[in-house]
Parts: sequence; structure tokens; C-alpha cells
Amino acid sequence: MKLRKLSAATAILATGALVLSGCTPDGGNGDAEAEDTSNGENGETSGNTDAFSAEGQQYTTEPEDTGKADTSDLETMEDEISVSMGEIEFVGYNGSTPESYSVYNSTVVNRIFEGFGYWGTDNVWYANEDFGSYEVISEDPFTVEYTIGEDVSWSDGTPVTVADYVLDWAYQNASLTNSDDEPLFNGISQTYGERVLEGPQGDPDGKTFTIEYSEPFADWEIMVNSTLPAHVVAEQSDLELEELVTAVREADTEALEPVAEFWNDGWLTDPGTLPDEELIPVTGPYTLDNWQAGESLTITANEEYWGNAPGTERIVFRFVNDGQHVQALENGDLNVARPQATVDTRGQLERLEDQIVLHEGEAATWEHLDFNFNDGPFSESLELREAFAMCVPRQQIVSNLIEPVNPEASVLNARESLTFEENYEDIVAESYDGTYDEVDVEGAAEILEAEDAVGTEVRIGYAGPNPRRTDTVAEIKASCDEAGFEIVDSGSEDFFGPGGAQETGDYEVALFAWAGSGQVVSGQNIYSTDRPQNYGGYSNETVDDLFNQLATTEDADEQQEIIIGIEQELWGDLFGIPLYVHPQLSGSDISISNVRDTASQDQIVWNAEQWQRAE
Amino acid sequence: MYSYVLKRLLSAIAVLFGASLLVFVLVINSGDPLQELRESNAENVEFLIQQRISFMNLDEPWYSRYWIWLTGIAGCAVGACEFGTNMSGQDVGAMVANSASSTLRLVFIATILSIIIGILTGIVTAIRQYSSLDYAVSFFVFLFFSLPVFWAAVLAKDWMGITYNNWLREPQFSWTQIIVVGVVAAILVPLIIGGSARRRLLTGAVMFGFVLVVMPLMDSLNYAREPRLGPAVITLLGIGLAFGLTALLSGLNNRRVLYSALTVVGVGLVSYYATFWLLIEPPGGWLTVIGLFLVTIAVAVLIGRTMGGHAKGQAVAVSVITASLFAVMVLLDHFMRAWPGFLGLKPRPIATIGSSSPNFSGDFWEVALDQGTQLVLPTTILMLVSVATYTRYTRSSMLEAVNQDYIRTARAKGVNERTVVFKHAFRNSMIPLTTIVAFDFAGLIGGAVVVEQVFGWSGMGNMFVTGLSSSDPAPVMAFTLITGAAAVLFNLIADLMYAVLDPRIRV
Repeated sequence: MKLRKLSAATAILATGALVLSGCTPDGGNGDAEAEDTSNGENGETSGNTDAFSAEGQQYTTEPEDTGKADTSDLETMEDEISVSMGEIEFVGYNGSTPESYSVYNSTVVNRIFEGFGYWGTDNVWYANEDFGSYEVISEDPFTVEYTIGEDVSWSDGTPVTVADYVLDWAYQNASLTNSDDEPLFNGISQTYGERVLEGPQGDPDGKTFTIEYSEPFADWEIMVNSTLPAHVVAEQSDLELEELVTAVREADTEALEPVAEFWNDGWLTDPGTLPDEELIPVTGPYTLDNWQAGESLTITANEEYWGNAPGTERIVFRFVNDGQHVQALENGDLNVARPQATVDTRGQLERLEDQIVLHEGEAATWEHLDFNFNDGPFSESLELREAFAMCVPRQQIVSNLIEPVNPEASVLNARESLTFEENYEDIVAESYDGTYDEVDVEGAAEILEAEDAVGTEVRIGYAGPNPRRTDTVAEIKASCDEAGFEIVDSGSEDFFGPGGAQETGDYEVALFAWAGSGQVVSGQNIYSTDRPQNYGGYSNETVDDLFNQLATTEDADEQQEIIIGIEQELWGDLFGIPLYVHPQLSGSDISISNVRDTASQDQIVWNAEQWQRAE
Repeated sequence: MYSYVLKRLLSAIAVLFGASLLVFVLVINSGDPLQELRESNAENVEFLIQQRISFMNLDEPWYSRYWIWLTGIAGCAVGACEFGTNMSGQDVGAMVANSASSTLRLVFIATILSIIIGILTGIVTAIRQYSSLDYAVSFFVFLFFSLPVFWAAVLAKDWMGITYNNWLREPQFSWTQIIVVGVVAAILVPLIIGGSARRRLLTGAVMFGFVLVVMPLMDSLNYAREPRLGPAVITLLGIGLAFGLTALLSGLNNRRVLYSALTVVGVGLVSYYATFWLLIEPPGGWLTVIGLFLVTIAVAVLIGRTMGGHAKGQAVAVSVITASLFAVMVLLDHFMRAWPGFLGLKPRPIATIGSSSPNFSGDFWEVALDQGTQLVLPTTILMLVSVATYTRYTRSSMLEAVNQDYIRTARAKGVNERTVVFKHAFRNSMIPLTTIVAFDFAGLIGGAVVVEQVFGWSGMGNMFVTGLSSSDPAPVMAFTLITGAAAVLFNLIADLMYAVLDPRIRV
């Protein structure tokens, strides 16, 4: 939080400095006008379906949908592209331990491992047909068959086989425990082991395996994706690959102990040192090459890659504070960057429009107001919640705080689907009737009068300091105080911390954001009774049932129907009020083709293997 | 003496212990290491939180967490330091090893440069007290001192980085630029040199003419892209130095000193040719360069001693300074020789981020140039602030010394002005300055926190900020310990230096 504050201050001052230095404002504005007229024409003729395409971006192949375009005609160019996602350092090759797992680490490791699918620009899962295929072969028991592509192999020449996926299951299986009854593998997820009791079935040397779920599972598609090299793990723990697979299948925890030991720590190195080359084979288009601690990590085209050649020989991830991105882009130190999404940054990037393409988009992170159902005035009274929802100026908040950064922004009217998602319109149309589109101060005042609740104190808590949230609360206060509420800004640094207001319940409304994961059932933790992320203590049996139903439904249409039901309940009960999807800004050098922004967590580097500088 | 040092070291350990305890408690209470997880929507978030609690020992009370850290550090006593691990499980000791070198490089160069520049300006402004030069320097020095570092950095990136790089593509001075530089030189140089109004006017005119000739000449030689000195220029400058330094430090009528300095220049010219091919690709890199430099100093001392006669001391001083500056010029010549090739590898030399270009490969000079160009902006910024301190302190302590009785006595007995300033006033004014240097070095490590942040360096400052923002104690503690140790150590050195500079002090 401190960091963000500091860099925000830097950014604000940065604009001040640029204004002071007075770099040819006239020339810039003139160009902008000229560009604007041509933009209008483009807008009418191109009709691109992808909400994330940016003006001025070149493509070697125009994307047809929100997935990756077909760039099989690309040839690797001897060149280097620098990109920065922020200053968080790369941690390690194995990004599946809690120590190493982070969005930042994933942006790198997802470039070196390929799997059965990936997230498209609208955070929708796409199957990666080059890598392999999967299909449901039985509904009861729910069974999925995976086939790995014939020529898919590790960069050391070893083919990717079922054995690798047996290991994949092992490290997500908490039932493999040591003598202290703790899980052997220090993995970030245990869902796989809980849902699939027997693990992947099939010849360890073969390319086809099946997994059988104990009950149907909504997020089955993303359960199996990329994996780590089982042959390396086996060799490092002095086992034959066969023995490793047998040990996993027989739950021979004693034999697995050295395996887990290597998996947990063997790939963890000091910053700046990569593990030995033979320990870190990859399945993706790039291999880890050169790591300068704290400064940069270079990934180089994988010479043994089985798939389409990547566009550029080297991608350099540089760990740079996002307040410095714009000048670094201008100076060519960075070619693709993701600066802070602020009005100032937008202005700076716009001024560089003959040099930099501005990618404006939306992150899968969304802001919302949640009521406290544990105690306080809103916990018992639906009427008061309605009155509050009526006076919250949602459109005004979006217009004043979000549109300057993302002119396309709109008010968010759902929780389980975000504005850029395909099914958003359908879900909203059937679950929300537009009651809270317009501010109705008088209506809210009437309810307050009727309920004898004029002057009700509403403490809006959030994790501060956060200027945007402070402004949001100020907008709400201006409107709701008029209706008879008494809004109090309770933002504090430890709102979510131990002993903070959220924990002690000293708030009526919480203002924060969820980072969407793309999973179908992740909302269950938030809205079902007594779930860990149900901070407000909300409870609704219908919602509980619907989520249980959703979790075991694998058909997309049925899922959508259930989600509509959930949204209807949540709107009817007013669990909370969704506000907007967070905007994000990225910039890329105008000479680089195929750069696309995305809402998924990998952000703008998600298709880095398709980037290429025009000659 | 030894018991004094020992006492100081023991008290230093006590200070560090107290500071570490305080900082540790502050850091672990400064925020919530689980913050990002609390707002995460991942399905397994509860599990992730549990895992982070256990590997960061968050369920332990503060004293037990401090004790875990302290027992690791206590290993330093037996040579096995354990700095602990950060929240990503990385060894902080290894992180320190990585980051210390870039931070120390930055801070060291900035300190040296600001001492040289600060003291020189300080002396000049003290000698020309209440002149317009004094006022102008004071104005700029205070301006620089009060600049917020991150803001100055943004300006520097824009002007010295982006604009310079753009200009360097087709370097050409416009007539406006030439005339502005000429006017500034015509005003500034006479102010420093001083003299009668007539002499100042003349100096100004000469400077203006000089700039008017030299800048277009540089343009026509494409000097910005293909700079060179060459043996002739180096020798001419060397002879100039020999005369200048002799005049400054002992007076031109001291022929022995002048001849030894000129001999140094002659030997330097011979060694320029002798080492030319060795230095094209020096085996052993910087070790060879530093080795040669030490040989140069040794030769200079030898020449000074053999030729100095009765003025041995002054001859050695002048010879050594001449030889050092001559060596620097030779070094510069080699850098200039590598510059066009370097521009081919790195067309925009001044980068706004990083302490070196990733994947940069070139010969010794090109790699050094790469690191050097990456240093330009952060060093300048870091320097701006501390130059101000040095200038002001030198000025005031010079003025104080100049007003002492012994200066009046020296003048009264007819000692010339040069000797009064350098021998009597300057040496005495240096005593309080040693304290400032000691404080400043530790202070600059702290100042590097912001500079590293703004320039994307991975030094210790960055480690500190990253650690603090996620309430991760180990990296913050490592930073505290090293900065604290540096502060204590440099204060000790300053105290010992007093004894050297001021014979009245006994330790």
C-alpha cells in the first residue's frame, strides 16, 4: 500500500514536471485532432469484435475472436523486446508453491509452459488445440479424456507424457502426507486431489489419460493445464520415472518424500541465479535464459519447440516501478509496459501517440459495496439497503472517476459476470431490472422517513489510503446525506488487517474489489453461508443451494441459468452493490505487431510469443 | 587508541541492537502481509493464507519472531550470517550480496563526485564572498537541495535522457544553443577568475569567442558521436596541468617542482604508447586498469622524490596529481575510442531505468560505458542534494578559518595568498567536513531508496521498499543493519581522521 502511495505521488508529480518542461504542447494537440477524425472512420469500417483492440496497433494476422490469432506463418526474428509488468521480482521456475505463486511470477512462467488451454482477452477459457485435446467421455461418473499432442515434448527432447500429468495431480493432492500428517507437496491448490480421487489413469509413457471426478465439477476445464517435468523430478530424487508414477498411484508416501522435497525446494534459487539448465526444461515457446536479480529476466526462443515459432528471439521482463513506465517507453528502454491506470498516465501516453500505441482495457477486477449482515442498521432491513442503493450515484461515480481513464467504462450490474464477458448482457437482462440506474434521493428519503431511520450513520470502510475510494465515498456522501443517511468515511490502512474494522464488524458498508479468477464457482466462497470470504455474514438458503448446484454443473448453458438465479437473489436481497470494473492501461511501441491487451491475469504479455517488430 | 576503537565498536553493537529491535517491531506492525490474499477471489485462498501464516511465522508473537531473526544474525559472529528469507522464500543474504554492489557503486561514485565538486565550489564561493558568483551559487545550491528527488529524476530523465538521446541521432548545435552557451561561459568564467573590470571583460570576450569557434568545430567533426582526444591533445592538456598545479600548489618559481611535473607528463606520453595495445582489450578488466594506475602513482612519487630536492613534498604532491589526471585523460581517450562502437550496440545510450542493459555484450570498454551511461542519471540526482551540503559547509568553514588570528598572522608576515588559502585556511576547514562526509555516506544509502525506486535499480533501497510495502521484515532488517553499520563505521573513521588532521586531538 505504501508503495502504491509513493508511486502515485511520483506519477502526479511526473505530470507536473512534464507540464513544466513544456514539451511542444501545440504540436501534440494538433496531431491529436488529426488522429481523432481518422479514428471516427476506422471505428465505422473495421468493426472489430475484440473490445481490447487498440487504435494504431498492427497485426500480422487480425484476431478473429478473443482467443489467440493464428500466427503459424511467423518466423522468429533475431530481436529483443523489453516489457515490464511492475517491479515485483521473478521468483522461480516452479510457480506453484505459495512462496513463489503470484500474478507477476505467472506472467513469466506461463510463457515457458504450455498446457491444454489459456484465458482469452475476455477471461474466457480457450482450448489450446496445438498442445492437445480433451473431451468428456462419460457423464456418470463424470470422466474427461485428455490427449497430449504427438510431438509435444520438453525442450530437452523428452516427450510430454501421462507421467508428467500424474505428477501434476500428486502435487495438488493433500492426501499424500508425511509422518506429521502434513501434505508432502507444498502446492498452492488441493482441489484436484479432492475432486479426482484416483488421479490420471493411463499408460505413463503414453499420451492419453482419463480423470474421473467423484461428482461433476463446474470448473473441470481449467483443472488440468500445464505441468512440471516428471522426468527431472524423478532423476533428482533417484527414482525411475516408472517408480515415481507407481509411488504416486499407490500413495507410497515414503518413496515420495524425496520427490516432494525436490519439488518443494529444488527449483528455488537465489535471485539472479537460475537452476542448472537440465533441471528447467520447458514446454512453451520460450526458455529461461538470463536473470539479473531485481532488474531483468530474459526468456529466449526455445530451439526445440514443437509448436509455431515465436515472433521474437528474446523477451526481456524488466522489474520497474509502474510510475516509471511512460518515460521508459518514450526512451525505448521498455517496448511494452503497463503503467498505472490513471488519468495522468493516459494523458502522457496520448501525447506519445506517434510512437506508442495506447491499449485501454478492463481488468478482471471489480469494485463493489457490500453490506454488513452481522449487525448494524442494514443487517435486518431490506428497505434500508434499498434506500441506500437508491441514493448511491453509480453512474456519476463511473463518469467522474473511471471514464477519464477508460471512456468506454459503464456501470457494472452483475457480480458473477463482468461487463466485457460475452454472457454479461444476457445475465443482466434477466436478473436486474434497472431499479438502481438512476439516483432517487427522494425515494430513499421517503423510505428513511417511513422506517424512522433518518440520520442513520453509515460507515463505509475500505483499505486506505486509496484516493479513488476516498473520492467514491465522497460522491456517495454528497448524494446519500441528502436522502437522510449520515455517511462516514471509515477508510483505514488496516481495514482488512487483523483487528481491523472488517474483522471487528465496525462498518456498515465495505468498499473493495474482488480480483476475478475466471473460475465459475469462485463466488461460492463469497455468497454462501459461513464461507471464508463471506465477510458480511450474508446467508440465503436459495443462494447456497444454487451454488451447490452450480459447482456440480459442467454444462455452460445450465451454468448460465443458475448464475441468473443467483444474481436475481443477490439483487433481490441486495447483498451489495456492484460499481464498476477496474480500468487498465498499457502501452506498446508502435512498431511491434500483435500486441493485445486482455482482462485475464497474464495481462498484456499473454500473447508475447506473437509479438514481432516490423522491419 | 585500541581500547578507544574497541569501546566504540561495542557501543556500536548496542546501538545496532536497539535500532534493529525498534525497526523490527515497526515493520511487522506496519501493515498486513496477507492484504493481497484477503482480496483475492481464488478458490483456495484460505489455504494460501494458512500457508503464508506458517512460513512467515505470523502466528508467533513479535518477540519470538524477533528472536528467530536475531539468532540468524548472531551467526555473523562465527561467520555464518543468516539474514532469513523473504516472503517468497528467497535467501535475503543472497539478495543483499546482489543488491549491495549496485547500491555501493552508486553511492560511492556520487559521494566522491559531490565531495570534489562541493569542496571546489565551496572554496571558490568563500574566496569570492558576497560576489554575484557567491549569490548565484547559493541560489542554485539551495534550489537543488530542496528539490524532491523523484521530481528531479523525472526532469532529468526527460532532459538528460530522452532529449539527449533524440539529439544524439543527428547531433547538431543550433546557433541559439551556441550563443546561449557562449554567453553563460562569458559571464561565469570571469566571475570565477575575478580581477579588475577590464580583465573580466577581456576574459568574457575570449570565452565567448572560444565557444563560438569550438562548438561549430565539434559539430563539423561529429564530436558527439565520434569524440577523441589523441596523444597530442592529452600532452598539451598535461603540460597545462603541470604548469597550473605547480602555480597553484607551490608557485612557478619553484623550478624543481615544475620540472618534475613536466617529467611526469613526458613519462605519461611514453606510457600512453606503451600501454595502448594492452588497454585496447585489457586482460583482467578493471584489475589491470587499477594496477596500471597504481604503477603510475608509484612512478610519480619516485619522480617527485628524485627531482624534488629541497621541495620534495610539494614535488611529490604535484607529480602525483598531475599523473592521476593524466591517467584519467588516457582512460577517457580509450572510452572515447569505444564510443562509436558502443553507439552501434546501444543507439540510445542514456537509459532511464536499470543499472545495466540486460543481455548487453561487448568488449571491456563497451560494457564499462554501458554501466557508466546507466549511472549518469541516478548519480547526478543523488549528487545534486549532497553537493549542496558540501558547498555550504566548505564555504562557511573556510570563512571561519579565514577569519582566524593565525591567518591574519600569516598574511602579516607576508605569506602569499595561495599559501594562505591552501595551506593555512583549507586544511583547517577540512576538520569539520570529515564529520559531514561520514554522515553523508550513510545518508546517501538512505537517499538511494528513492533514487533506486525511480530508476528501477535493484539495490538495497529497492529491497527495503519492497519489503516494507509487504510488511516482510527480513529484507528491511538487512537494509537497516547494513545502513546502520555503515553509519557507525563511518563515524568511527571520521573520529580517527580528526586525529590525523588535527594534531591537537588525541584518541
